[in-house]
Amino acid sequence: MSSTLQQEYGSIVATLSDALAAGDDALFLAELDGLVRRREIQLFGELRKLTIDLQTALDRFRVDSRLVDLAEKEVPNAKHRLDHVLKLTDEAAHRTMDLVERCGPLAERTAQQAGGIVESWRRFRRREIQIDEFQRLVLRMDGFLDTARNDMEAVRGNLAEVMLAQGYQDLSGQIIRGVMNLVGELEVALVELVRLSKTGAAAPKRHSDDQQRGFGPIIPGIDNGPAVSGQQDVDSLLAGLGM
Amino acid sequence: MSKDMKFLVVDDFSTMRRIIKNLLIDLGYPNVAEADDGSTALPMLQSGQFDFLITDWNMPGIPGLELLKAVRADARLAKLPVLMLTAEAKREQIIEAAQAGVNGYVIKPFTAATLKEKIDKILEARTNAA
Repeated sequence: MSSTLQQEYGSIVATLSDALAAGDDALFLAELDGLVRRREIQLFGELRKLTIDLQTALDRFRVDSRLVDLAEKEVPNAKHRLDHVLKLTDEAAHRTMDLVERCGPLAERTAQQAGGIVESWRRFRRREIQIDEFQRLVLRMDGFLDTARNDMEAVRGNLAEVMLAQGYQDLSGQIIRGVMNLVGELEVALVELVRLSKTGAAAPKRHSDDQQRGFGPIIPGIDNGPAVSGQQDVDSLLAGLGM
Repeated sequence: MSKDMKFLVVDDFSTMRRIIKNLLIDLGYPNVAEADDGSTALPMLQSGQFDFLITDWNMPGIPGLELLKAVRADARLAKLPVLMLTAEAKREQIIEAAQAGVNGYVIKPFTAATLKEKIDKILEARTNAA
């Protein structure tokens, strides 16, 4: 018999044995009742622990299956959705720049042609122009007005398309909102899992790796540590370092 | 240094590379090549006779800071002017870039005037040092 059992039950068994030998029925029965109660309390304790474990296992199963669902379907979906946002923004930016690049030469041609006419026009206004130069001026003016009208119509069309190209913001905004909801749900499930697992030790920080790779743009409301507020701030920081 | 200088623009976003390239052309530097991260940029730099490197920080593959360190560690590239053009705005990052030997640091979003000012300043310092 182990010493723990000896310690716990030794005196009770001795009392029981003594009471039986002495024919003390009352003491024997009282001691026996005490012994049974003690065993019951231990049994209930074990039962309660088992019940809690079962409850935790069931809760965990519920969280686990939602997490599996999120990890298997929703997260890859979210990646595709964000990929699509990247594609949308990329296309819109290129479309906008294409249109702006097309406008540049048209505006330049208008400015150049106007520049070529302006000197003759001023002489005409000062009544210093000769008849043959006037005739050339009228012809150039005809050409200029036609070209300028066509060019500016094209510029106007391009500008309207630039405006339309910004429609990506609506679509990408909706997609991003959907992904934000998913991230929120994932967060709740993970927090619940951590609570059920009761893993006290926090995961090691990947600070140095983040530092090396970068954090991305500063997002208002998300604190990543001390950051500069603009180019002036950067310049004064670097000046302080002797640059 | 002249307007014939050869620039390498490194950014993982093609739109940003295009914006920077257009700005450089407007500033009178038509000789611009592009790379989408450090691992593509480094071999280009090692064989491409570039005069100026403009790089983002946060990129897949080799990020900008690692590219900067690799450039400074290469004897042939050690003196190449490097301008970091990035959304990374943490003070310790800027200090780390300065310690790694960056010549200028511009944070996104940026203006054409800021880009011009920093390039001019770097080139001016080069001329004075020569």
